[in-house]
Amino acid sequence: MSAEIAALQNALAAEHAVIYGYGVAGAMLTGASQADAVADWTAHLTARDNLESRLTGLGATPVAASPAYQLPFAVTNAATAARLAAVLEDGLTRAYLGVVAVSDPGLRSFGARAMQASANRAVAWSGTTTAFPGMPG
Amino acid sequence: MLSRRQLLAASPTTLPLFLSLSACAGPAVLSAPPAVSAQTTSLLHAVTAELNLIWIYNRAMAAYSGLGPALAPLRAEHEAHLARLRAWVIEPPGKHLPDTVTARPGLGSTEVAALRQLQAAEQTAVTTLMGRLDGAPASLAQLYASIAASEATHASVLGARIASS
Repeated sequence: MSAEIAALQNALAAEHAVIYGYGVAGAMLTGASQADAVADWTAHLTARDNLESRLTGLGATPVAASPAYQLPFAVTNAATAARLAAVLEDGLTRAYLGVVAVSDPGLRSFGARAMQASANRAVAWSGTTTAFPGMPG
Repeated sequence: MLSRRQLLAASPTTLPLFLSLSACAGPAVLSAPPAVSAQTTSLLHAVTAELNLIWIYNRAMAAYSGLGPALAPLRAEHEAHLARLRAWVIEPPGKHLPDTVTARPGLGSTEVAALRQLQAAEQTAVTTLMGRLDGAPASLAQLYASIAASEATHASVLGARIASS
């Protein structure tokens, strides 16, 4: 498997997990927060489709979503739902950082733009910025 | 070729004769510093860009103390960016790292104008960093991308602050 395909598959697997997670978080949210979660969930569906299209174009079979995922903590109210959304976005930023490491310039830009989108969503949910989104601590 | 010991031993009056007799021109002895690679030049520009951003944050915080609590965390992240970028500079040996601000724009005359100026500076920084990705080693490209993501969030945070002003 090429580095490009491996990085895209990793990002796709992360998008699958994020889509699942937003389903859980959205159920605990109401009003504007729920609307934000729905908008973000929709953005992730689009990103998933984009990644699947890119992988198919490279001759790879896109990884499938798991039927369920282990959540990092119990999501029982709006606060934990928002925290989960931020954690999901942080994880996704790390996944797209891997796409930036490939040599193809177009994919690098794609990965970097996706990092900006997920970092912005993470900040919207957490209210806190970080110096190095996606980078190992 | 003259040795360093021979050059140091030569008096100012004898040195030109010494050089001509040995058919050794000054530039051959004191050769030009090694050329800086395009990658290093890009990195040094990134360092300068962070210095410029920190400078304008400092100006804004000095001029509008009410912005301090909102801007201090963002400035601290720029200082972290600067430190990480400087740590990447390893060539040429002994290269003096940029420590001078190269852009000192006038500050907006109101808090909101200053915030807009900072937001525009952050957006410009993101665009510039995106342009540095191509050709950079993978790990440096990842650092640029991460800093670009951080600065994109700064632009958003500043935008939210402007909207609420």
